[in-house]
Amino acid sequence: MNGSAPQEVSGRPPSGRLVATLRARADQITVLLVLVVAWQVLSVAFGTYWIGSPVGVLTRVMAGIASGDLLRHAGITLSEAVAGFLIGAVPAATLPFALRRYPVVSAILDPFMVGGYGAPKLALAPLFILWFGIGIASKIALVAITVFFIVYFSAQAGVRALDIKLVQMAQVVGANERHLARHIIFPGAVPYIFTGFRIALPYAIGGAVIAELISSNRGLGYLIQLGAMNFDTTGVFVALVATTCIVFLGNWSVNALERRLLRWRPPSDVRMQAGS
Amino acid sequence: MALLEIRDLEKRFDGRSGHDAHWVIRGLSFTVKEGEFLTLIGPSGAGKTTLLNLIAQIDGASGGQVRFQSEIAPIGDPKALRPGLSCRIGYVTQEDNLLPWRTALENVLFPLEVQGRLDAEGRARADMLMRAAGLAGFEHHYPHELSGGMRKRAALIRTLVYDPPVILMDEPFGALDAQTRTQLQEDLLRLWNLGRKTILFVTHDIAEAIALGDRALVLSRAPTTIAGEHAITLPRPRDIRGIMTHPDFAALYQRIRAQLQ
Amino acid sequence: MTTQDSALDLAAAPLARPYRVALGRLGLALMLLIGWKVGADVAGPLYVADPLKVLWRIIADTPSGVLPRHVYVTLRLSVLGFAVGCFFGVALPFLLRRVPRFSDAIEPYIMASVGIPKYALVPLFILWFGIDDAPKLLLVGLLVFYPVFIAVFAGIRNVDRRLIDMARVVGASETRIAREVIWNSLMPFFFAALKIALPRAVSAAIIGEFLVGNEGLGFLIENSRQNFDTVGVFTGIVVATALVLLINAIVVAIDRRLNAWRPADREMEP
Repeated sequence: MNGSAPQEVSGRPPSGRLVATLRARADQITVLLVLVVAWQVLSVAFGTYWIGSPVGVLTRVMAGIASGDLLRHAGITLSEAVAGFLIGAVPAATLPFALRRYPVVSAILDPFMVGGYGAPKLALAPLFILWFGIGIASKIALVAITVFFIVYFSAQAGVRALDIKLVQMAQVVGANERHLARHIIFPGAVPYIFTGFRIALPYAIGGAVIAELISSNRGLGYLIQLGAMNFDTTGVFVALVATTCIVFLGNWSVNALERRLLRWRPPSDVRMQAGS
Repeated sequence: MALLEIRDLEKRFDGRSGHDAHWVIRGLSFTVKEGEFLTLIGPSGAGKTTLLNLIAQIDGASGGQVRFQSEIAPIGDPKALRPGLSCRIGYVTQEDNLLPWRTALENVLFPLEVQGRLDAEGRARADMLMRAAGLAGFEHHYPHELSGGMRKRAALIRTLVYDPPVILMDEPFGALDAQTRTQLQEDLLRLWNLGRKTILFVTHDIAEAIALGDRALVLSRAPTTIAGEHAITLPRPRDIRGIMTHPDFAALYQRIRAQLQ
Repeated sequence: MTTQDSALDLAAAPLARPYRVALGRLGLALMLLIGWKVGADVAGPLYVADPLKVLWRIIADTPSGVLPRHVYVTLRLSVLGFAVGCFFGVALPFLLRRVPRFSDAIEPYIMASVGIPKYALVPLFILWFGIDDAPKLLLVGLLVFYPVFIAVFAGIRNVDRRLIDMARVVGASETRIAREVIWNSLMPFFFAALKIALPRAVSAAIIGEFLVGNEGLGFLIENSRQNFDTVGVFTGIVVATALVLLINAIVVAIDRRLNAWRPADREMEP
């Protein structure tokens, strides 16, 4: 949904549009400066206990990177998210393909999948901590189950969106079931699977952080809790910045991977799907 | 020698509530000789695509027989259908049906890949066909980067690359502008000349049917059957652009058009 | 009768034999319950609570008011947060519409803020606003705000410009335009966002209760865990899941009735 709809740009001459874009950029930079200055002012006004200052946060981030501490904790959260993502997404993406030939099984499973999808998975966090302890296993499990249902439905949509004419064409030139699955069904479903990845990503990272907030002794969620309990808002901000960076990193990775794998997509399809 | 024989072909579509069935094809019979370019002309709604789908074994028939070289195709039983009759019947459909995630060359190589014939000879043949179809230099383009005409040509040579003895073509040039269509018709005849395959070409355009074919069959409206047969004696190689000025053209055109009413 | 039947047959077969499917579902549900019981016997009461004990706890705690109280607290939190989030999510885009230059200037930052995991902010909220409902309310509000804001913002953007121009030409005021043209155009987007936001609000309330507070389903779950009361944990999870699924079902039913003319599609957000 980013970017203006074509209706927004009225019939200005090209030079007029360039000026408008430049002006918008300048505005955005102005806003950024205002935000940072306001942040600094608030920090001074309330005291750094309540609001860590931008300078303080920046210094602490750099110190954290230099000492390796911040990176270590970030690495733990990241690995929880990635491992959980893989464990959840791989079976979720493959199951609809396996079930394609067994529509009865698929129909039987459907309400359970819908229920699993609708149920609040993050509410299972304490249960997983009970089961797997406060180490990374419980976080990975939580992420995995959250990601699983999201990717399952995306992959299922992809398998069902199959263009029958392509299947018929392939059969006429001699493709068997294996060829169909590999060359027709799977490539057609990949864009849908990527949409599922994109949707699941914030839940993966969010799930890891939540589980860490509840009970953990490592990771960025742990740092946030630690900072909050010690009235160290600078520390909290640092961990928040790191968490947000991981989210952006994740988004960027998924987008980069998608651009590489889906070069073949006509631009109109890309625009339609990117809206999710 | 008849390569393909259609006998009393029938196709009925069941209506929604079961008592709305109507016959799309009934009592359709004709033969196709080896190396012949046979055109089938019919108005819209004459079940032309259905007919080709039956012959290619994509759909099952309600009755009748399709014989390929004296082998009877199992068209009555939906479970026993063998689309393409083990790669002996090629099918160029109305939409190009190129795989969007493969480049032009990869699309052309697809049948060879699937049939396990992707060797040096196959690749050389694909390259030759790409050049002959004017697609040289576009091998690594994706379908959405090609024009409509180029996609059609790619779809065409995708069928030619594995050399099926019979090729069905379903109004392949219908959706194109007149210029591109004429160009593609010339290309088609040129490519056909390379191997003189047997072609079954369906169209609603009488001029196209006369320009391309050795023989033209006229299809009636539903329930479709053969309404007439016309030998086309115009000399080969055909001059597509000037075909209408040939003395025999006008009379043939009128005869066929009369039958289509 | 086409090869589609053998190659694809997705929709046709199950519908042709509904009994098989219904029986299969029943069977699967039974197997899951039995599996739960077996799991409880095998893993021990610490790890897996006996389903019968969970049932008993639900039955025992309902008339006493303990369980309903937790449910009420969570729901109240969800509804309040939902209202706040919705209000700002709708009001802000309309206000921003009046100041397009400002709106364009802050848009990238709003979009960037979507990337901040809201749950991660809860300890900060607790620090700032205390241990009462405020931090949880803020969390729920934020989680509702974003999808609603984005939907309304995009909906306003995508309103057909010609309709607005036409309204201006016939002399409609800006408020009138907002009310008539824009509001109606963005209805579908808005409702789609609501469908997502309401179950989300309940989820968020529960998770907020993990971290702060002494009442509510989230508190029940987490507190039980800390006391090694596994039956309590399972009770809380079962009730919470049932609650969210119920709300989901209600939302879908309302949506279906309101938008009977639209093809139903599945929401891609848990």
